[in-house]
Amino acid sequence: MSIFSFFFKRKPNNSKTLAQLLQELKRSSDFAAVEFQISGHDFSIFYFDSLIDPKLLQQQVLCHLQRDVPNFTTLSVRDFQRIIPVQRIEITSDVQTVETKLLKGFALICLKRDDRNWALINVASENLGLRQNNDSENEFSVVGPKVGFVENIGTNLHLLRRQINTTNLVFRELTIGTMSKTKVVIAYIDGIIDEQTLETVIQRVKDIEFDIVFDTSLLDQLLSDNSSSPFPSFVSTERVDRVVYALVGGQVAILADGSPYVITGPSTLFDFFTSPEDYYLPWVLGSFFRLIRMFGVMFSILASPIYVAVLTYHYEMIPKDLLGPIIFSRSNVPFPPTLEVLFLEITIELLREAGARLPTKVAQTLGIVGGIVIGQASVEAALTSNILLIIVSLAALASFTTPIFKMSNTIRFIRFPIILFASFWGGVGIAFAICLLLIHLGRLKSFGNPYLVPLYPLRVKDFADSFIRSSYRFTAKRPSYLRPQTFWRYDPNKAKQKKDIDE
Amino acid sequence: MKRAFYLLLLIFGLVGCKSSRIVDQVQIIHAMGYDWKNGTYTGTAIYPTFKQGPMTKPDILTTESSTTYDLIPRLSSKSALPIEEGQMRLVLFGKSFAKKGITEIVHSLARNNKVGSHLQLAVAKGDAEELLRITAKTTLSDTLYLSNLVEQNIREMNLPNTNLHIFLYNYFGKGRDPFLPYFEKKGNFVKLEGLALFKDGHYVGRIDLRQSFLVKILLDETKNGVYQLPISKEKQKGRVLLENLYATSKYSLKKGKKPAIDIRIHIHASIRDYPIWLDLPNKESFALIRHQMEKQLNKDISKLIRQFQTKEIDPLGIGDFVRSYTRHWNEKSFYKQYKKLTIRPHVKVDIVQTGIGE
Repeated sequence: MSIFSFFFKRKPNNSKTLAQLLQELKRSSDFAAVEFQISGHDFSIFYFDSLIDPKLLQQQVLCHLQRDVPNFTTLSVRDFQRIIPVQRIEITSDVQTVETKLLKGFALICLKRDDRNWALINVASENLGLRQNNDSENEFSVVGPKVGFVENIGTNLHLLRRQINTTNLVFRELTIGTMSKTKVVIAYIDGIIDEQTLETVIQRVKDIEFDIVFDTSLLDQLLSDNSSSPFPSFVSTERVDRVVYALVGGQVAILADGSPYVITGPSTLFDFFTSPEDYYLPWVLGSFFRLIRMFGVMFSILASPIYVAVLTYHYEMIPKDLLGPIIFSRSNVPFPPTLEVLFLEITIELLREAGARLPTKVAQTLGIVGGIVIGQASVEAALTSNILLIIVSLAALASFTTPIFKMSNTIRFIRFPIILFASFWGGVGIAFAICLLLIHLGRLKSFGNPYLVPLYPLRVKDFADSFIRSSYRFTAKRPSYLRPQTFWRYDPNKAKQKKDIDE
Repeated sequence: MKRAFYLLLLIFGLVGCKSSRIVDQVQIIHAMGYDWKNGTYTGTAIYPTFKQGPMTKPDILTTESSTTYDLIPRLSSKSALPIEEGQMRLVLFGKSFAKKGITEIVHSLARNNKVGSHLQLAVAKGDAEELLRITAKTTLSDTLYLSNLVEQNIREMNLPNTNLHIFLYNYFGKGRDPFLPYFEKKGNFVKLEGLALFKDGHYVGRIDLRQSFLVKILLDETKNGVYQLPISKEKQKGRVLLENLYATSKYSLKKGKKPAIDIRIHIHASIRDYPIWLDLPNKESFALIRHQMEKQLNKDISKLIRQFQTKEIDPLGIGDFVRSYTRHWNEKSFYKQYKKLTIRPHVKVDIVQTGIGE
């Protein structure tokens, strides 16, 4: 029995015999069965051709069998452990285990004489068909490491273990998916992580019932506290440094095989607007860029609704010097401001969507064609006003400053209901929509942790790393809302010390 | 689900009740003029049209009525788009209208929620309509000409701070009277000619732009304005131009049988222009010119206050100041004594700069 046996909740009652299993598997043409004889011992080897590494099988298994078996007069299955120099050889008599292991790329070796026990040898080709390039392409930063996670979970765990050099880094392995049997790893640092949070996470992951786990973003949705919220509950990132930072801060990371994205949680709203680069730049610059990013988000959400509200209802509040340009640019537009805004916003969304679906080189051309030609033409055809074109494209630009892609999608989305509210009720509508948004955010939770913390509930001490990224002197303490077991990341007094030359 | 349904019902149900005023589908008035001619009221609205470019020729609408109330509704009958006064920056009263009383308009403006408190009010010598027509002519071609003129003079020159808010404060406040900028037509131009003074909503007289500088420094802390003063030294006569850098005024009340008010005015000034014979960096002439300036300012201020006292108006808010020091202050009994009240200005001038010298 493997160490993961606690994990199979329902065992099928009709236990098969090995012969039945092999019969089933033989339906598939990539299932290979080889029988041969070495000095009087009858062997049969079964494996999935598509899952194993043939070189490994040849060099580590077959060669050694041929060389060493003649030395044994009585051979039992247990002797394979001495013959074959592969670290993971399992001797089992359970057909169920044989099935799972065969499907994971193990080779099954049977001895005709000893047909109660079978040996399972790991000859899986770990990297076959997976990309080797692990640049963090989608979360780029100019400064700092550019290593990202890849689809292979082994590589990912290696990357984490290499940076967090402590025995307290624990990987808990689970298997999710009735069909995919995906290896899912929960990583945390023992001694920092809050026990209760960890329990919640493990229980939620265990309770997942799904067929195939394509990506961690599926887990993200299945694990989230409120699955009908447009806001992502957890940060998912492909950057190693982000995950390491989260782990050190007292969060949990969830990795899944086949997914280059890693979920970290419990997350707060601020986590989605911090970029690793904030920590690589001096704190003044880091804070400034973070503030710019937050302003960008506000602008992106509010710019076009305010345009709608002001032009439809509140012409009184337009500054006198702006009145002329606004009226002139709108004077030939046949639509009310609402339709004008929706038209342009949807155009931009189309461009973005089309750009994401097309190959990179075509997408560039499309961006230019769409951005310049359509924009210019629609202004010249008096379908939209110049000023709105500027506002909408700036808002689109601002929404891209969000470092986490999922949050950037959310920002794209929540603009539309606010535009509708603005067009129905003007400024009051915007205020109302913002209130609804704040209420929703205030109720959201991430692994049972409040989402708006440190704003609500208010944790004044945790503001050190929220709107601004304070100097490292002030961030020695872990954020209290994660309830870490130990608070100090490093000694702030030692960090403060300046070792001058005359000391 | 049910809640969401009701919310949607609310949103879509209330859409019909909306009163949208899309910015390019209303006629935005920038300035409004009121006149009283031959027993009827005339209203003049000046509005911009932005069909050819952001800056275009202003247009004018006029209408007549026997009351002031329906002037704007009557204007609508001459306009293709609904008239909106939400962007109004200036209300100009003709002199005859101002003499007859601006109470009705002021009350209407005070209650109008569309009009901002930065709105400027002003009085025109002659007809407001004529002045607005001049500003609408091609030479100026700006609907905001007059309001910009007023704001510029408040910011940089001798005009004390005024707008609807301050006017209403002076108008409704006890112990103070309002004042407004006063315009005159000079050929093809409009010129600011000082301050129009009001008593109980009626125009009662005016002071010139030079005196309005004195009003400006008497009212509150200011950082601008210029004032010309005569000086003399050993039979040589001339004038200096004083530029106010920072002036404060402090009122104090001496109670007793003969109450008196002392106004201490401190001007940090720069002498911008002075005659060549005056050797300013010289210490002696410095003291001399300072002394002469202080004396002259004292004289001018006293004269101005006397002028107010004879007209029984109080633009400086002296009644209000006394009220703040007096228990059971009575407006009527105060203004009975107002004419004879002793008000003594004490001006102190500090010359901070005289320009680049050796």
